[in-house]
Amino acid sequence: MFDYTYLPEPSLVPYLIEMMAKIMFIFTMNVGVFAPVLGWVERKQSALMQDRIGANRADVFGFTLFGLVHIATDALKLLVKEDFIPRGADRTLHYLAPFIALVPALIAFAVIPFGGQYDLWGHKANMVIADLDVGILYVFAVASLATYGSVIAGWASNNNWSLLGGIRVGAQMLSYEVAMGLTLVGVFMVYGSLRLTDIGVAQENFFHWGIFLQPVGFILFITCALAENKRTPFDVPEAESELVAGYFTEYSGLKFAMFWMAEFLEMVTISAVLVALFFGGWQIPFVTHAGLAGFFGFLGPNGAQVATMLVHVGVFWMKVLVWIFILMLIRWSLPRFRYDQLMNLGWKIILPLALANILVTGAIMLLVK
Amino acid sequence: MAGIYRKVNRPVTMTLWERLYVMEVVRGVLITARHFFRNLVGVTIAYVTGKPSERRIMTIYYPEELPPVPEAYRGRPVLVRGADGKEKCVACGLCEVACPPKCISIVGAMREDGTRYPDTYTLNGAVCIFCGLCEEACPEEAIVMSYDYQNLCEYDRSLMRYDKEALLIPEEKLAKRLEYIRRRMYNKCNY
Repeated sequence: MFDYTYLPEPSLVPYLIEMMAKIMFIFTMNVGVFAPVLGWVERKQSALMQDRIGANRADVFGFTLFGLVHIATDALKLLVKEDFIPRGADRTLHYLAPFIALVPALIAFAVIPFGGQYDLWGHKANMVIADLDVGILYVFAVASLATYGSVIAGWASNNNWSLLGGIRVGAQMLSYEVAMGLTLVGVFMVYGSLRLTDIGVAQENFFHWGIFLQPVGFILFITCALAENKRTPFDVPEAESELVAGYFTEYSGLKFAMFWMAEFLEMVTISAVLVALFFGGWQIPFVTHAGLAGFFGFLGPNGAQVATMLVHVGVFWMKVLVWIFILMLIRWSLPRFRYDQLMNLGWKIILPLALANILVTGAIMLLVK
Repeated sequence: MAGIYRKVNRPVTMTLWERLYVMEVVRGVLITARHFFRNLVGVTIAYVTGKPSERRIMTIYYPEELPPVPEAYRGRPVLVRGADGKEKCVACGLCEVACPPKCISIVGAMREDGTRYPDTYTLNGAVCIFCGLCEEACPEEAIVMSYDYQNLCEYDRSLMRYDKEALLIPEEKLAKRLEYIRRRMYNKCNY
């Protein structure tokens, strides 16, 4: 287990450098890499899944780069587009809503560990921005803040479809957050901690991964997480065929892009939480931290730690990418739930199952003890 | 590529296994995942080898790639230029008569050695219906339908009146079509 007495007083400068580097890294990964590239991935992956080719016409000097140039053209289009606010809309809230939607998607990543703890030149580097002891509760709190963005967007647009979308977001998030919190109680019971770094360290043994200890909890959690993400099969708040575009019907240009980015970043966050809780976080199956550092022993003590860190961080992002792929697969495979089916699933199926999961987990833990 | 279809036997009442939904979701996702990976492999092979036929996706990158044209395809009608450099046409006027929209007009003439040739041969591309009757009527294999279907449209109709020089194409370039019409089976059903 970690040495939590570690505090920044003796060496403020390395601490600050480490902190800034981690924040820069996460911010670059999310906003600079994932948000734009996922737009391309979504287009191309859905195209290939449906036996199509996908966007490939935009080019720079004749190079289409498999459609990657569309990222730049999209950004340009959204930047120069008219920022339209409908008559009678609440201008302040209309401006505020996309920010409220986007910022939680960004800051939820603060507690997710993307690597272990490494001893670099006498400085202990912990690959998580904020190692909170409430950990995953912070993610829940921030994720429910994102709901306000959608609800306010629906309210402020002065549009029937937007309002309906906003109301649906409110109801859906309320239903599924209750279930989502309860699905993870089993995980906390098994690992005995809310701190995500603890859960990551506990998964060093391959057979202690969350997927093996909490299989039912995993299925329930991924269902709730998909519902939180507001993408098909749970996209009733934006339901193109019913509500035009739901709560962001009246948004255009960069503000629309922010909702769009928030959706993608939420997907990254969900994948990261899934990996951290159920798929071993940064751990490689059957390879311990010390074992990997020993393998890189020829690089010297510090070099070995740096190499281990790079491998662990790479493994974490690879797992996140795999999960993003699976979430995209689900999004482009399943049809949308009817609204009453959605509510039934949330309250009548997932909630009782989550409670039963807690009960069974507790019983098994008592028996094993 | 023939279309693949499968008869789906869909029971009205679902079994308990299906009502659990989770495994059915997994099954559906596996189907789409299979399509994804098959197409990914196909696209990669097509990109590396440069053969569009390796791609399993039916879509064709049109201006860069052209769809395969069937043998019986009727494109722009063209006149055949023989091996001696002269047109094969003897200005008999059968194509003129056979043409339903009357888009061909010929003015015949005679060479010193007594053979006939068209002095002018005008085919109005704006009127032509690509029926291929001129090709069937021609006793000399002098006018054939080519496989050419691109850039046939103009913004000015007068540009679509092809004269003899615009229509003449060397024999060797039309070898495939000439071989096809020698079989005297113009109906597509024969293929």
